[in-house]
Amino acid sequence: MDIKDRVLVVEDDKSIRNFFKTVLEANNYDVIMAVTGAEAYSMVTSQCPDVVILDLGLPDMDGMKILKSVREWSSMPILVVSARTHERDKVEALDAGADDYITKPFGTSELLARLRTAIRHARAAYLTPEGMQTGTFRTKDLLIDYDKHRVYVGERDANLTQNEYKIVSLLGKYAGKVLTYDFIIKEIWGPNMKNDNRILRVNMANIRRKIEKSPAQPEYIFTEVGVGYRIADPD
Amino acid sequence: MEERHSTGKNLFITAAILAGASGISFVLQQFATTDSHVPLLFVLAVLFVSRLTDGYLYGIVASMAAVVGVNYVFTYPYFAFDFTITGYPFTFLTMLAVSVSVSALTSRVKQQEQIRLEVEKEKMRANLLRAVSHDIRTPLTSIVGSASGILENRDVLTKENEMELVQDIREEAQWLIRIVENLLSVTRINGENARIDTQEEAVEEVISGAVVKFCKRFPDAKVQVDMPGEFLMVPMDGVLIEQVLVNLLENSILHGKTTTLIRIAVSHGPGRLTVAVEDDGQGIREAVLPVMFDGQISSSNGEECDSRRNMGIGLSVCRSIVKAHRGGMRAENKSTGGARVLFWLPMKEDDTDGY
Repeated sequence: MDIKDRVLVVEDDKSIRNFFKTVLEANNYDVIMAVTGAEAYSMVTSQCPDVVILDLGLPDMDGMKILKSVREWSSMPILVVSARTHERDKVEALDAGADDYITKPFGTSELLARLRTAIRHARAAYLTPEGMQTGTFRTKDLLIDYDKHRVYVGERDANLTQNEYKIVSLLGKYAGKVLTYDFIIKEIWGPNMKNDNRILRVNMANIRRKIEKSPAQPEYIFTEVGVGYRIADPD
Repeated sequence: MEERHSTGKNLFITAAILAGASGISFVLQQFATTDSHVPLLFVLAVLFVSRLTDGYLYGIVASMAAVVGVNYVFTYPYFAFDFTITGYPFTFLTMLAVSVSVSALTSRVKQQEQIRLEVEKEKMRANLLRAVSHDIRTPLTSIVGSASGILENRDVLTKENEMELVQDIREEAQWLIRIVENLLSVTRINGENARIDTQEEAVEEVISGAVVKFCKRFPDAKVQVDMPGEFLMVPMDGVLIEQVLVNLLENSILHGKTTTLIRIAVSHGPGRLTVAVEDDGQGIREAVLPVMFDGQISSSNGEECDSRRNMGIGLSVCRSIVKAHRGGMRAENKSTGGARVLFWLPMKEDDTDGY
């Protein structure tokens, strides 16, 4: 039997709600709707959605508040919807535990892709315990070998340094999702590193020169200006 | 808008100028046989004080101090007050009157300058609004028209007709999004003194961000990026500069018409980073070149220049963004055909890491 994933859409605008409902139902999701933050909160606890699409700008409360309180007890995937100019909101939401964000206005295909990635991540995190990562990650010609701690481009070893490997494998672990500068810095250099992302930028520039053909037209690691980095989805 | 100084700074300016005037008077006293230059020098000092400080107060205080000080230090008996010298009350009064009126006059001039600036800003805002409402109304008309066309003619429209109309709606809506994105960018530039929050950004990342965004919208467009090999960090608002680049890339396609290849060329010279966007399209009409960044091209120059897709707002936004970075912007036609638009941003010399 086909079990549909249940999506909770928290959005106050009627026509956008309509759009979500039409598109998601056409793509075989079970859709439930919440208009206000209070409603959203009760639905999250009572209906157990598989994934939440959360608009940060709600009439009755800040979407961030919902995000934070859900994260206190659940790791269900949450996709945040935000406006383009507010990178701070995006970064804040990602750092508060959102799985991904989509920028208004967005197209159908982008929405569906993000949704699939978020659900996949949640499943993967459930199946493989925290920490250890084994096997390989491949996207196009790029291959991350987690067992050997090596990254290959085609047949060639990219010769990454220890930290460079750590950054790439971290991105690979969360493939398709944006990792914020702060998150990467904390994971690689520890929590005491001063919040200077220059060192990360320089490391990233070196990685790019080792794995990309043209640093300004990357194929594998993309920059979301003002937010962070994202590696391409695996094949 | 002129910046206002703190009280301490105003006092400091006043004191410094008076001290300077005293110093010069002392020096001149060694050579001059009379004291007549002294009051004049202090009137000059008061003039400077009123020009460089805020409001009337400091100028008047300075003139009082000057009158008393001149009497105390520079008139016989030196370093003692003597208001009984023949004709002195007259000198005293004249100097006070001159100082007060000078300081009042300069304050007035400053006020008028302020008003003129405000008016200019208001004018710019009105121009932008006018351009925006024009640019927004056209696609909206088309969207409303197409949508009601579908709703009201369900029975007569073929599937293809319907698809065409829906596609129009999407295209126009996407155009609207671009306009709004541009407007939002402007709001990020702080109104008051057109300052922005800059942060060190890796140039290659901002460019790649723009290229990726652009290619999402125009999957068929070919973009070639030429960058110096070293790793460049330049202080900027990355999101805004990305917006500038996306605008320039889109213009190359939309206005170049025959564009097949867009080239982004990055170079850096002493203290500045230059980014050029070149295409091999039909170029920019000579008549448009001098006014293309002013945000009001379309209707005024008579010629029918694809009125809807006018590049007015996009380019004027680009220029405000670049100006807010204390950079500059220029457009030209290449001798080999096609257009080249370039902008530059200030950077520190040591921001080129040999990585």
